[in-house]
Amino acid sequence: MRKVIIIALILCLTSGYAFIKSYEFTVPENWPKPVYNFNKNPPNFTAIELGRNLFYDPILSKDNTISCASCHLQYTAFTHVDHALSHGINDRIGTRNAPALMNLAWQRQFMWDGAINHLDVQALAPINHPDEMGESFDSVVFKLQKSKYYKKWFLLAFNDSNISGEHTLKAISQFMLTLVSSNSKYDSVKRHQSKFTAQEKRGYQLFKINCSSCHTEPLFSSYQFENNGLPISNELKDSGRIRITHYLQDAFKFKVPSLRNIEFSYPYMHDGRFKKLSEVLNHYTQGIQSSETLAAQLRKPMAFSANEKVDIIAFLLTLTDKTFLFNPKFGYPKKIFNTSPNK
Amino acid sequence: MKHGIFLFLCCVLIFNTIFAQSSIVKIQIKHAIGDSKTICTDSIYRLNQHDSIKITTLRYYISGIELLLNNQSIWIETNSFHLIDISDSSSSFFALKLPQNTQYNQIKFNLGIDSITSNAGALGGDLDPSKGMYWSWQSGYINLKLEGKSNLCKTNNQLFQLHLGGYLYPYSAMQQIVLNTCDQMPICIVFDLEKWIQKIPLDLQHHIMSPSNNSVLISKAAAQAFRICTPCEK
Ligand code: HEC
Ligand code: HEC
Repeated sequence: MRKVIIIALILCLTSGYAFIKSYEFTVPENWPKPVYNFNKNPPNFTAIELGRNLFYDPILSKDNTISCASCHLQYTAFTHVDHALSHGINDRIGTRNAPALMNLAWQRQFMWDGAINHLDVQALAPINHPDEMGESFDSVVFKLQKSKYYKKWFLLAFNDSNISGEHTLKAISQFMLTLVSSNSKYDSVKRHQSKFTAQEKRGYQLFKINCSSCHTEPLFSSYQFENNGLPISNELKDSGRIRITHYLQDAFKFKVPSLRNIEFSYPYMHDGRFKKLSEVLNHYTQGIQSSETLAAQLRKPMAFSANEKVDIIAFLLTLTDKTFLFNPKFGYPKKIFNTSPNK
Repeated sequence: MKHGIFLFLCCVLIFNTIFAQSSIVKIQIKHAIGDSKTICTDSIYRLNQHDSIKITTLRYYISGIELLLNNQSIWIETNSFHLIDISDSSSSFFALKLPQNTQYNQIKFNLGIDSITSNAGALGGDLDPSKGMYWSWQSGYINLKLEGKSNLCKTNNQLFQLHLGGYLYPYSAMQQIVLNTCDQMPICIVFDLEKWIQKIPLDLQHHIMSPSNNSVLISKAAAQAFRICTPCEK
């Protein structure tokens, strides 16, 4: 009899985990190993779904009006199209362009200047109010703790009956980690499933020679910090990476952005100064401003004919991944919000 | 029968881990200003004839506790992160669980959080970012938070707010502290706030919210204000 009780006890204790379907993070063919440490935050479907809810839920903002998705919209590769934000939460958010969110498992540093050192703690930045730094995340967690709806989900996803800050952040990470974009035309060409047009091929050749030292395949970013010669905006006076490292050689360096889905993630650059890819190419041919920290590759001016520019843009458009932009798994979680018991 | 033996072995294992020969060393941290040996968050304390201070928040991390015998490390606490908060008196008491007969005469610890932990993403327990000790716009822990009011601040409302931290060169703020304990049990440590606060130029530095040179200097001064309650005989 006692044996039966012990076995039943063990079953009860482990069942919390047993019913959760774990999620296998797949690395696309020929991609490098992700840098995110999944052992410390093992993904499961429930936690991903929970994270997706949190991402779309304005409960994360002080006045319950703004969610992560207000600035990171799926159809624009999780960036926002409207640069001038009337409703920003933090002053700095108004001065920087929201980057596209994708392939985050391969990034070590986040934000244009790398101010954030780990994906898990990224969400704290927009959540916190500038005047109450470090104060309002407590109240977000408190709001979640009071909601019966989230209580159930945290229990299922993390076996956490109390809702901790740690698990709130880890759930958001789990959702963001699933935002992998690896199904563009470029990828299918690499997998020998389709072919570039002659124009795209010419563009690809020019790209490999001039751009790929920074916008490195297959992620289309080295994720290093570089100065690509943008004239400094007097209004914003954004000195980039040096604000974090205090190294002089980091002045005016910004994180190299990935060019995947670039067709949809306009406006471009850290301050959103360019609206079109043709303006970006004109910058690389005519607009480079020399300075002490300008990248060596850009010191010699690039010269592209008008046709070559069109070729490069044609290639850049092959980086659009419709399966990513329209994947219903990344969208607004209608089903879950509707079944919420107390909303 | 086989099951019986298995169960018995399990019991032995469990008993062994629970009642393994270990001893508990209690640690207490006292916060003092002048003659006041306990600091409350809303009282006003005199610093000298002219100046006074009211502390509304004092929270800090003690981490990486190690016991030494004649400068040789002999025991290291695992997962050693303690958030001390003067508004929660129980946080100033904690216990170390050491193997029995561990001999030591020094204690070593960090005031603040190391760079590896600062880079490790979302952590739980005392390190949970919802504890209000994590910076948001630039990743990293706040090692030490001191907030309050003093006539020394040349601001309208006399308020000061010091959030000290940062783990990156050249503003790495974590401090290492080594104190001689003799063979004291429990280990009683004083954080002499008067000694510390007198080294803070509150008239100039009443608002620190990010890693900086002043953050490092004031953290150093804080580390120097820790001592053992009753100094060793020799
Ligand atoms: C008000 C607009 C806004 C909101 C709301 C917002 N973000 Fe952002 N996000 C930005 C901006 C702007 C940046 C870039 C800021 C910088 O580099 O300084 C950014 C950067 C990021 C990055 C870094 C991407 C990279 O490549 O470095 C991630 C990840 C991210 N946000 C996730 C989130 C999450 C999760 C939420 C919700 C908790 C959220 N954001 C809410 C505007 C916003
Ligand atoms: C020396 C490294 C380097 C080289 C070479 C380089 N880039 Fe960039 N690129 C960057 C950096 C850094 C940024 C972000 C700059 C900023 O916002 O301050 C950037 C931004 C961009 C953007 C805007 C992306 C966005 O999401 O805002 C595009 C498009 C782009 N580059 C295309 C190209 C093309 C095409 C080439 C080759 C002709 C090229 N780059 C060569 C470093 C480089």
